[in-house]
Amino acid sequence: MIGSFKQAKKDEEDGCGNPYHSVDKTSVLQEARVFNETPVNVKRSTHVLTKILYLLNQGETLATKEATDAFFAMTKLFQSNDLVLRRLVYLGIKELCNVAEDTIIVTSSLTKDMTGREDQYRAPAIRALCRITDATMMQAIERYMKQAIVDRAPGVSSAALVSCRHIMKDSPDVVKRWVSEVQEALSSDCVMVQFHALGVLHQIRKSDKLAVTKMVSKLTSSGPRSPYAICLLIRIVARLIEEDEAGADCRLFDFLESMLRHKAEMVIYEAANAIVTLRKSSARDLAPAISVLQLFLSSPKPTLRFAAVRTLSKVAMTQPNAVTACNLDLENLIQDVNRSIATLAITTLLKTGSEGSVDRLMKSISSFLNDISDEFKIVVVEALRALALKYPRKQAVLMGQLADMLRSEGGLPYKEAIASTIITIIEDNPEAKEKGLDHLCEFIEDCEHTTLAVRILHLLGREGPRTRQPARYIRFVYNRVILENAAVRAAAVSVLAKFGAQCETLLSNVLVLLQRCMMDTEDEVRDRATYYHAVLATRDSALIHRYILNPPQFALPSLERALVQYLRADTSAPFETRAVPTAPPPQEEKKAQNIMEVAPRQEERVVPTHEKYAEQLSAIPQFANLGPLFKSSAPVELTESETEYMVRCIKHTFRDYIVLQFDCTNTLNDQLLEAVNVVVEGEDWDVLLYIPCPSLPYSQPGSCYALLRIPEDIMATTGTFSATLKFKVRDCDPATGEPDTEDGYEDDYTLEDIEISVADHVQRAARNNFAAGWDELGATNELEDTFALSAMSSLEEAVTQVTQFLGMHPCDRSDRIPEGKSAHTLYLAGTYRGGHEVLVRAKLALSDGVTMQLTVRSDDPGVSEVIASAVG
Amino acid sequence: MGMFDRLAFFLGLKKREASVLVIGLDNSGKSTMLNHFKTEDQKTTDIVPTVGFNVEKFKTKNVGFTAFDMSGQGRYRSLWEHYYHDCQGVIFVVDSSDKLRLVVAKDELDMLLQHAEIRHRRIPILFFANKMDMRDAVSSVKVSAALGLERISDKPWHITASNAITGEGLHEGVEWLTNQIKENFGNNMNR
Ligand SMILES: Nc1nc2c(ncn2[C@@H]2O[C@H](COP(=O)(O)OP(=O)(O)OP(=O)(O)O)[C@@H](O)[C@H]2O)c(=O)[nH]1
Ligand SMILES: [Mg+2]
Repeated sequence: MIGSFKQAKKDEEDGCGNPYHSVDKTSVLQEARVFNETPVNVKRSTHVLTKILYLLNQGETLATKEATDAFFAMTKLFQSNDLVLRRLVYLGIKELCNVAEDTIIVTSSLTKDMTGREDQYRAPAIRALCRITDATMMQAIERYMKQAIVDRAPGVSSAALVSCRHIMKDSPDVVKRWVSEVQEALSSDCVMVQFHALGVLHQIRKSDKLAVTKMVSKLTSSGPRSPYAICLLIRIVARLIEEDEAGADCRLFDFLESMLRHKAEMVIYEAANAIVTLRKSSARDLAPAISVLQLFLSSPKPTLRFAAVRTLSKVAMTQPNAVTACNLDLENLIQDVNRSIATLAITTLLKTGSEGSVDRLMKSISSFLNDISDEFKIVVVEALRALALKYPRKQAVLMGQLADMLRSEGGLPYKEAIASTIITIIEDNPEAKEKGLDHLCEFIEDCEHTTLAVRILHLLGREGPRTRQPARYIRFVYNRVILENAAVRAAAVSVLAKFGAQCETLLSNVLVLLQRCMMDTEDEVRDRATYYHAVLATRDSALIHRYILNPPQFALPSLERALVQYLRADTSAPFETRAVPTAPPPQEEKKAQNIMEVAPRQEERVVPTHEKYAEQLSAIPQFANLGPLFKSSAPVELTESETEYMVRCIKHTFRDYIVLQFDCTNTLNDQLLEAVNVVVEGEDWDVLLYIPCPSLPYSQPGSCYALLRIPEDIMATTGTFSATLKFKVRDCDPATGEPDTEDGYEDDYTLEDIEISVADHVQRAARNNFAAGWDELGATNELEDTFALSAMSSLEEAVTQVTQFLGMHPCDRSDRIPEGKSAHTLYLAGTYRGGHEVLVRAKLALSDGVTMQLTVRSDDPGVSEVIASAVG
Repeated sequence: MGMFDRLAFFLGLKKREASVLVIGLDNSGKSTMLNHFKTEDQKTTDIVPTVGFNVEKFKTKNVGFTAFDMSGQGRYRSLWEHYYHDCQGVIFVVDSSDKLRLVVAKDELDMLLQHAEIRHRRIPILFFANKMDMRDAVSSVKVSAALGLERISDKPWHITASNAITGEGLHEGVEWLTNQIKENFGNNMNR
């Protein structure tokens, strides 16, 4: 019964009225043969092509050959002049062009359509054309693109401009040549064209701040008519103000404020939003923007109400006082028929209201919590999290509410948000810990999300053993072993072991339970149980500590590489785990926002991972035998931005060597550099060899390297190096990049100094249990010293600086300082080059600057000394 | 339908559609030639090297032609074969003033003739010894010899000197092709 109901529901979802419901790839590709018929069978071809597009949009993928065959068959449809069919062909080209080969075959056909007389063809043909044209073919279509940008038909012009933005990605220089056409389009009569033209113009100028400033000051005084363009201009201006270190240019701010009086609502909102989001806005600056938003709150248009309340709720997060003026209007919105608006109104009130109103607001939330979507439920959860941190006394009520929400319906992201809010509260407030753990335990008794269950189990393993009655959690954990899927069972086994390792009284029971787990049907669960049982059964605290509480955190790819190398060489000596780099604990990512997009996008230049570097370096024969790569630093710029040559340095540390990698870019289009090298000099250090970069053409990055031997004396392993870029210049034709026939001349260019610091020898390491690790390491190599950090004005600053300086990882969340404290202890863990474990305890106290008592423990006296003396 | 078409229709001379492939080295004059057949208002004034292909349509007598004007540049020649399967005739254009590259043209022709899609078909091939107006142009007889046309025995072929700009020779050639294709239509009907 239930089965058939489910089936019916499924059919309803995928079938029912969808004629493409049962389309299957193989047969559709067969049917695509109809494209080859002469004359073209328009009706059937239209139908089959639609099916192909449907499949691709459902996520079906084609192999290169399949896609190429379909593509070429499709090109024959250019014979037909049927309007619908041709537009489907354009779509087909765009869908297939990333997979199929030789797609440039349609170039001429598309240029013909884009310059032809049929307006319906022109815009989509442009869009398709820019997708199949790569950097090398760009010149062939340049003339047409320039014409299209200034075309009289707005659709055509917009299509060309939007295509420019795509072309920018691969061939920015080509689009730069079209700047005067784009300028012309900016004064078009069509609002959309103006908007697109401004977008392209900004993208062209983006990297040149001076040019952006000029463009903005021109536009803010003359002003485009298009409200869309003005919205974009507002975003550009806001970004300029944000980036301007010296203090905002008040003309820019005046522009934003004047836009609050524009006639288009869209512009007013955009300006208000920009002003309230500016980090630099003072409370006085905010006021006019807030009052505009306040007016929107009582607008009859739901979109305006929504936009306003959403923005206000964001402001309330950082500046609740600025929003209190709107409290009355917000109260009215609690009854709004649009539940999303009501939710945002309540969560805003939660942030701006007094402690006394919390209970009342919570009641109104629970009354409609079931009517709103998960996305907004998450907003509520976030508000509760903020509230809990702000009013610790309310935590009991909030925790209760959260527990109720945890039990109700909802998807994984929602449940995750609740769980992590509870975890935050637990971490913030030790008194709430046991209550919170109880809620979470109850939740995992009936939790369908594997990842979440595993995460909560992990937390139990960390926090549970340190509570007053660890025994009460064992039942919940063992239930998982009996009831859940393999991933959860495996996690539960690890948690049992953690309890066994830390609670003497539970050890014998845990051993019995682990014994039972050894009968599990799943390899992973059995393996874990056997491993933990064996370790715990020794009752040897050092062993238990090393292999259960703080197990080694190898970087797995490096471990694999090291093992492969070991097997190739002499295997008579035991494998040395010390040489294997440990994986640094993950760090939180920062997000950058693109003006044109609502959703945050990834940073453009991705810094390669440790693994990538290791792979790249071992591919260079001279570096193949340096052993495993221990650590790579973040890139350091050795030149100011916007200079002739740009060089950044990455320091790669091996056990006995340091490789300096110099990524160079030549920004002069009339020069070709050859034999590019960075010469470094520093006391006590030998440069063993240089690998120059043979040729560095304009704007194509290249790398050169220097290999240094690390001095024997551990106290001499830090230092400062002078660096000079040396190269041979050959003048060349800026247009083609062809160098003159003449031989070049030698030249050099002074770079900033390079520092090799302690942090370059230390890799961050995670410790689940710092105290246990500290005791384990013992006082044999302990060094202690007291410092006055007079330049620091706060504990936060001291914590960040010390952590960064030593290149170590803060443990037990000791990088977070509870508000209002004047003393704090920071725990840091790391691995020193050569695999030496180092732990640091820094007791910080605020007193006219910051005083720090630094205690270092390590398994090597030299290492302790380097670290202790590093701060001084 | 125009008046003549209507008449032809009633007389049972239904208009036929044929698709032909226009190939030959780059710069030989393929696009120029097809441009000549277009009606006055559809002609383009500037002809640029083709990238990939273009579809052009023109009519003669009662056959409507759909011509695939392929690009002749080296790196696109390998793409011609995608269009062999469904064409009913081939027009091979040679620049008769480009003596140096006649051997290249011959190579391409050989590859065409040996191609699996062409080898066993009795497909008519029309050769234009184009650019006959150029001072250093060689005669169609010499072009024919250079391409080794006499060895083609299993397909009807025809060569004519032409000037794609003025149109000289084009109609004669296309008339021959029309007749060949009509004959093939007839044969297919009888089968
Ligand atoms: N003098 C002369 N010039 C011609 C003749 N036919 C074509 N041309 C010129 O030759 C050049 C190339 O002609 P196209 O038609 O572009 O040649 P194509 O074969 O289409 O070349 P691709 O598209 O690159 O394969 C143009 O400048 C024409 O004007 C001709 O019969 N006589
Ligand atoms: Mg051509």
